[in-house]
Order: sequence, then structure tokens, then C-alpha cells
Amino acid sequence: MSESNSTSSEPLDLIRLFDICANVQAYDMHCNMVLSDATETIFYTEQDSPEIKSRTKKSDMVFIRGDSVILVSDAANV
Amino acid sequence: MSSTSNFLAEMTNSPVVVKLQHGLEYHGVLASIDGYMNVVLKDTVEMVENNKVRNYEEVFLRGNNVLYISQK
Repeated sequence: MSESNSTSSEPLDLIRLFDICANVQAYDMHCNMVLSDATETIFYTEQDSPEIKSRTKKSDMVFIRGDSVILVSDAANV
Repeated sequence: MSSTSNFLAEMTNSPVVVKLQHGLEYHGVLASIDGYMNVVLKDTVEMVENNKVRNYEEVFLRGNNVLYISQK
């Protein structure tokens, strides 16, 4: 889904701090979600460098509290 | 029905711009909206400062992040 080590020509890279690509096992009205096979991508910059770096964390099963959700989309279409 | 929810209901299936509090804009066709301002958009372009960033066939936006919804 998200490319790593891209440059910051796209301002969105600076706004999007992280995303999670996963299978939704369960959700509710608050957007609380249980995700399986989750890959979390964290975007960051280092001082004096415009380069956007990213690192990933994997988790077999994770619970996300709904209030931190901004957007949900089909990962196949991103 | 109040005039605000009327306004939103009449906008379904028409092109809209949804701006989030973070500054991101989503230009797409309003598929659905509820009382929390949760929004589903189709054929959506994600924009930051008038730069096209990403495309979504279908996207759900959680209502608490919405700043405004405007008719295109």
C-alpha cells in the first residue's frame, strides 16, 4: 500500500503519520475494530532531511479504538 | 426534517468536497452521510493544498474529522 523512502514532494506525507493495512475481523458504531494480520506503517522525517522514511510493525491481532480512525478504505484500491 | 439534514440529504449522489480538520480534502461523489457526519464517498481524489495525492474507489470518513462538506 504505502511506499517507503519517498521524498516529501507530496505534502500528504507530512500529514499522514501512520496507517494500518489489515483484515477487519470485527467493528462497531464507534469504528472500534479488531484487525488481523495487521501491518502498521509509521512515517517520519529526520532533522535536516526532507526525505520521508517509514518503518513497519506487524501484529497478528490488534484492537483499534475508534476515535483515532480518520479514514477507512479498501486496501486493494489504494 | 431540519433544513441542515435536508441540505445534506439532497447532496447525496452529487459531487462534493469534504474537508477534514487536518487540511486534507476529498473530492468525490457523496454516496451516503449520517447524523454524525460520517461520510462515504465514491470515485474520490485526496487533495492537499490543491495537489492530487491519492485515489479511492470508495472511502469512509469518520464524522469527527469533518470540517465542512460543500457542493462542487
